[in-house]
Amino acid sequence: MPRSRALPAAPDWLSSYQPSGAASDLYAAASPQTAAHWHTMARGLAALGDQSGGVQEQIARQIRDMGLTFRVAGDEAERDWPLTPMPLIIGGEEWGAIEAGVIQRADLLERLIGDIYGHGQLVAKRHLPAPILTGSPYFARKMPGMAPPSGHWLHVCAMDLTRGPDGQWCVLSDRVRLATGIGYALENRLAFSRATGSLLGDIHARRQAGFFSALREGLARDCQRDRPRIALLTPGRLNQSYSEQAHLARYLGFPLVEGRDLVVNQDRLFVRTIAGPKRVDALWRWIDTNALDPLSFDVRSTLGVPDLMATLPGGAVVANWPGAEVVESRAMAMQMERLCPLLLGQSALLKSVPGWWCGQDGALAHAKKHLDDLLIAPAFGSAEGLGRQPVVGASLTPERRAALLAAMRQRPMDYVVQTLLALGQTPTLVEQQLVPRPFSLRVFAARDGQGRWKVMPGGFARILPGDDETPALIGTGDLSADVCIADVQKQSSIGHTMLDAPGVVRGGAILASQSADNLFWFTRYAERTEFTLRLLRALLGGSIEADASAHQAGVGGVLINLLHAGGAVRAQGMSEATLDICADALTEGDLPGGIPSLIRQLQNTGRALRQRFARDFWLIASRPMPALRDHHPQTMLEVIEELLERLSALSGLIAENMMRGPAHAFIDMGRRIERALSICRVTRGLQASGQEGLNVLLELCDSQITYRSRYLSGAAPLQVLDLVLLDPDNPRSLAFQVEALVQRISGLPPLDDRNLPEQTLLDARAILAPLQAQAIADVDSGTLHAIEIQLLSLSDRISERYFLPNETVAPRQQGALLS
Amino acid sequence: MIYNVTHTTTLFYSNLVRLARFNLRLRPIDWPGQTITEYRLDVSPAPADIRQKSSPWLANETRLTLRDPITRLSITSRFRARVQPPAFDRAQAPSPSIAQVRAMAMNWPAVGPGSPASYLFASPIAAIWPGEIGAWGRQWLADDTPVMQGAMALMRALHEEFTFDAASTSPDLPPIEAFRARRGVCQDFTHVMICALRAIGLPAAYVSGYLRTIPPPGMPRLVGADMMHAWVALWCGPDLGWVGLDPTNATLATTDHIVVAMGRDYGDVAPLDGVFHGGAGQTMTVSADVEPVEEEAV
Repeated sequence: MPRSRALPAAPDWLSSYQPSGAASDLYAAASPQTAAHWHTMARGLAALGDQSGGVQEQIARQIRDMGLTFRVAGDEAERDWPLTPMPLIIGGEEWGAIEAGVIQRADLLERLIGDIYGHGQLVAKRHLPAPILTGSPYFARKMPGMAPPSGHWLHVCAMDLTRGPDGQWCVLSDRVRLATGIGYALENRLAFSRATGSLLGDIHARRQAGFFSALREGLARDCQRDRPRIALLTPGRLNQSYSEQAHLARYLGFPLVEGRDLVVNQDRLFVRTIAGPKRVDALWRWIDTNALDPLSFDVRSTLGVPDLMATLPGGAVVANWPGAEVVESRAMAMQMERLCPLLLGQSALLKSVPGWWCGQDGALAHAKKHLDDLLIAPAFGSAEGLGRQPVVGASLTPERRAALLAAMRQRPMDYVVQTLLALGQTPTLVEQQLVPRPFSLRVFAARDGQGRWKVMPGGFARILPGDDETPALIGTGDLSADVCIADVQKQSSIGHTMLDAPGVVRGGAILASQSADNLFWFTRYAERTEFTLRLLRALLGGSIEADASAHQAGVGGVLINLLHAGGAVRAQGMSEATLDICADALTEGDLPGGIPSLIRQLQNTGRALRQRFARDFWLIASRPMPALRDHHPQTMLEVIEELLERLSALSGLIAENMMRGPAHAFIDMGRRIERALSICRVTRGLQASGQEGLNVLLELCDSQITYRSRYLSGAAPLQVLDLVLLDPDNPRSLAFQVEALVQRISGLPPLDDRNLPEQTLLDARAILAPLQAQAIADVDSGTLHAIEIQLLSLSDRISERYFLPNETVAPRQQGALLS
Repeated sequence: MIYNVTHTTTLFYSNLVRLARFNLRLRPIDWPGQTITEYRLDVSPAPADIRQKSSPWLANETRLTLRDPITRLSITSRFRARVQPPAFDRAQAPSPSIAQVRAMAMNWPAVGPGSPASYLFASPIAAIWPGEIGAWGRQWLADDTPVMQGAMALMRALHEEFTFDAASTSPDLPPIEAFRARRGVCQDFTHVMICALRAIGLPAAYVSGYLRTIPPPGMPRLVGADMMHAWVALWCGPDLGWVGLDPTNATLATTDHIVVAMGRDYGDVAPLDGVFHGGAGQTMTVSADVEPVEEEAV
């Protein structure tokens, strides 16, 4: 039911709206038809607010459900994405002009890059000062003379726009290095449309899905194979926009890869997967050119792919072409309007903010004369007296002003000055009221299947609390909003965000070696944490019930030895009181096998797997370590129980929700190997410790209940050992773990088509065979020790076969320059 | 002068190294007054692939790919260099003012490795900020000073104020640390001087090369022989072009210096870098011999 129409009586927040500058205000300057859409939207949102807890709260709930987060630069913690309900609404006609301007500017950027890395006529004929290129940290000096075989230097680009005081849209900056915000624009639309039902349809908002299909087709078109594999190259999980990249990759169906997932062989590009190297046709890169290939650019970079540049002449598509980002600087932005007639033979449709690069004749004198009315900014990355931040001339103290002018005289090439520009305003919901707030709008363009530019209808809107413009995508206190391009006539009525559905498929996606590695180690850490917690619980339990000193000499001593072997107790700490040992293992961050380090490793590995798991999973996995109030045994036991519960919740989610395929195989193999190793170790330690030892063994292997229901007598050696080691039906037995390993490994894709069992499978079978063939009386400590060694070597074999080798940067020649 | 140069680098790894790929920048470039003949590169064990790559700097770059595992690699670069003295003494020649050179460099319509525009800005190692080095250098570099006069005063000041200390270096040491300690090796002297020159908007480059081993009769032995050496090249306007200034020895680079490569800083022209598989401790021995040859003997 269309809710917004059902409640026509809802208040219109816009009736009390006070625009600050009429021409630059999106609502105040809207055409009558578009203004009507603003009112429909405002009433609709108000009506939703009446129903349940405010529209703000409903959107926040969508954001949480989708797991949308971001990080502010320098922050460790992730924050919920600040989506504000009232979208930016732009009429179809006005948008048409923006679209044409963006396409023209994209063509201009393309021509400009082509000249810079091609014939270099602009510099040679003095249309473009050379330092505007050489001053950019993104000028890729390896690229001149190497043109993209596809003919396209750019596939995706973006421009930050605002509506100036005269009502004209103008360009604040160009973005070709990273399309940051493109994924958030999509997520904003998803969250907004889920929270607001039919409202988008009511204002005839244009859909965005076509844009993303076009982007995919545009990349595919330039590849050499018919069904190309296009990967999104991410700098990794620690990058600020990693969650955006992961989301985009999933939405577009591109594998998300890091540099170390890729390898160049015979000048072709491959992704390392568990089924061997697979050809990659195109990379949508989210890392800087400088980091792309350590052999061609910065040798210290570990994000890229060695020798990637060698794949380009053969037709590998890298979007955007390496070095394209040289056009992003402020100094370059100021040349665009002048270059447009030269390169395209037409004048620029979108104006830039008037500004001057101080290296050009007369600019410095102009700057000095009009400093109060200008914004002084670094021409490239940073400049003396400014750092990275622009400053308004009028705000300078006399001392700073003098120092800045002196610095500008010595290195004028590092500075630009710009006319001050107030950003356009848009109605923003603040405490149930619409108030004007400054905004900038990032508009995205991508090449489609015909190689033509297509502009995303809408974009990424950033709404600022005040008037200062900082270069971040989004900063503290900023808001983001959906952007609706509203037509007078209703467009077609298909869903708002769905990509054209592909044919039905099952599984089949590649599993990159690195993901397999992370999956494997995630559960190894989880299992190791669980086992250490069980050891601590047994130790604490014993210290409460039994006479502490006797306990420490017997079973307790064995447990402490096991903890020490696992790195949870230091050698010199082994003689301490049991309670201190346990408290240390639970709190000390620098014990390699202590609970805090294990949880840290678990979380680090888990972060890389985020896009594979649902939100619930990550919420549990990322929860911080509970604090230990005191060292009372009961307090410690409570913390241990809480952590064990979390781990079992994670296991439950994996068992119930995870697709059965190679990814699940690796997650299960990690658990099985770790658990099998623990069983061997704990059995060898405890089997000679009498009845008490056997009871603890049953507890550690979580098999007490089975044992008690099977045998009415107390713990007897052979019976306990058979249950714990050989019983194939006990999911906690050694035999069960190894059998699972054999099954998982045999289900993995082979490297070739000879169909012979691989060494990993043979090794796993060799461990299983004696467990199936022997009676418990024949299994002794030596057997277990041998199995332990076999398991460790199996783990190494799995790493070698399926995971990545480590790449090392050769230190630059040291000692050769001792002069 | 004619020199026979032999430069041997031997790398040792404590573990097997697989798929090692190195960039070498050892073969000298063409440089005014310098002629290289009989160049020969020997690598042992023999790489699967040796390719000449284009360098974005004035350098000859060679890519080695070793597919078989190695624990040791030996690289020997040999050549004969004929170095002719410049036609006039550049220390005495009239030169444009610093402000003029700055303006000419900014307006130079080229972006290649020989263009002054490529050496105006901070580079990865030779950063301009923080401005301490610039503030120090400015005492010799007023805008109206003739550029040669200013640069030579700066070079001499560096030589006097700084201590040569072979024990204090790593290739990636930030120049600011050498500056604060007032000590370092040729590379540090060179980086500090580049920072000071760029801080006032002059185009300054890093030159790697060799210095003659045996001094002419009666002359002191120069510091930096037996090893690769580094010095500064400063662009002094179109008439003088690039002028070599060696702050380690407080001398202009003329017939005692053999140019191998020129870039923004050490990183652009490092004689050897690369990537390989396998975590391995790397140790290295280097020897360089620069032997003057009697003209008659040639």
